[in-house]
Amino acid sequence: MSESLRAFLAHALEMETEAGERYQELAEAMGLHNNPEVAEFFSTMAAEASVHIALVKQHADGQTLPILKAWEFDWPDVEAPESTSYESTHYRMTKRQAMQLALANEKAAEQYYRQLARETIDDQTQNLAAQFAEEERQHAAGLERALRQLSIEPTHHRQDDDDPHVPE
Amino acid sequence: MTEALVLKPKDYKSRVTPIWCPGCGHHAVLNALTKAMVALGKNKDETVMVSGIGCSSRLPAYIDSYGFHGVHGRGLAVAQGLKVARPDLTVVAMGGDGDGFSIGGNHFLHACRRNIDLTYIAMDNEVYGMTKGQASPTTPMDWDHSKLTPHGPGLRPFKPAAIALSAGAPWIARGYSGNPNQMAKLISEAMEFPGFSFIHVLSQCITYCPEQTDWKQVVHETEAEVVTDMAQAATLFLAEDGMQTGLLFRQQRPCWPPPAQAPQHNAIAVLAKSLRA
Repeated sequence: MSESLRAFLAHALEMETEAGERYQELAEAMGLHNNPEVAEFFSTMAAEASVHIALVKQHADGQTLPILKAWEFDWPDVEAPESTSYESTHYRMTKRQAMQLALANEKAAEQYYRQLARETIDDQTQNLAAQFAEEERQHAAGLERALRQLSIEPTHHRQDDDDPHVPE
Repeated sequence: MTEALVLKPKDYKSRVTPIWCPGCGHHAVLNALTKAMVALGKNKDETVMVSGIGCSSRLPAYIDSYGFHGVHGRGLAVAQGLKVARPDLTVVAMGGDGDGFSIGGNHFLHACRRNIDLTYIAMDNEVYGMTKGQASPTTPMDWDHSKLTPHGPGLRPFKPAAIALSAGAPWIARGYSGNPNQMAKLISEAMEFPGFSFIHVLSQCITYCPEQTDWKQVVHETEAEVVTDMAQAATLFLAEDGMQTGLLFRQQRPCWPPPAQAPQHNAIAVLAKSLRA
């Protein structure tokens, strides 16, 4: 296995792991904050991420991947592309908003893999990155279908009987 | 492969689920702290998290290490006592802007002055969140979202970095909850610094200050070399917008307490010697 492929797999594993753990954190937090519908959705996304993690691990089986500190990974932005940014969530968010966030994550992951496939000069890395990009594209397409089928719901945050803002 | 990275961030989290609101910046601080512990290969049994009271002060419960959830504003007092008694431990104190700069303000000043070898993470969301959104020492003077201050607190907000500098803190950094990886690096460096290391974290409160989601557009990473001169740092901290992140000031100076005195200078040893003579 080439150096390039090992580095690629290390990044893919970190990205999928971080995405899955973030979804799980959000599922638990939403559950605690009385938003079961969104909690269930994030929980499903966490489960899907675990399938990705298993797939990456399968490709890396028997190989020693480079071990990097959190800030040593080379991401296009401050965090791994598939991680839901903490500040983009809210306890009153709707399922549609949660799905739109997840869709943006899947698209960012696809874009990341596609760009790597375009830029690498290593054939093995190019093939695997293209394969992962295609999987992310399919997940994004699945989310888009699910979004179209979702019943109409208000675009604003859900009502709260105990609104935190009580201006005079 | 380095031993330091054998454990994963998840391994440093306890089984207690954080009750912070989804969207709260403190989730990112927890994430960053566990990543820093992974990078340093911290032994859970030799690491202690100490806090005061407030939303952010719940953090020690979410880390799988020793912890002490103390009294309001007294996290630093407990942490300093612990470090002096057990210098072999890695001690991290933490809390919010109200806990650290108001109720515990005096402890903050003297912790900076004493320079005991520990790390202090102040998660600043410019509001008392746990008590449902009152103005804190870092709240903007025109913030009018609270019944207690319907026209805003009308007071100039504290500048934590400037205060830390003037009180003598030798290591000052600023992180942002929207960039947990950078924060992990800062926490890691802080924990390795031999002395009092202060990390001011801009940690958004999505519930009482939803306008803080705009921070993402204004936070900027410092591109300058770390300042090592106090006068230069004072100019920087008084003039800056408070939104630059990174390691901002570092100056090595002796920690307190000083190394134990050699036996010949110890009073008991001197007495014993005179008795033998």
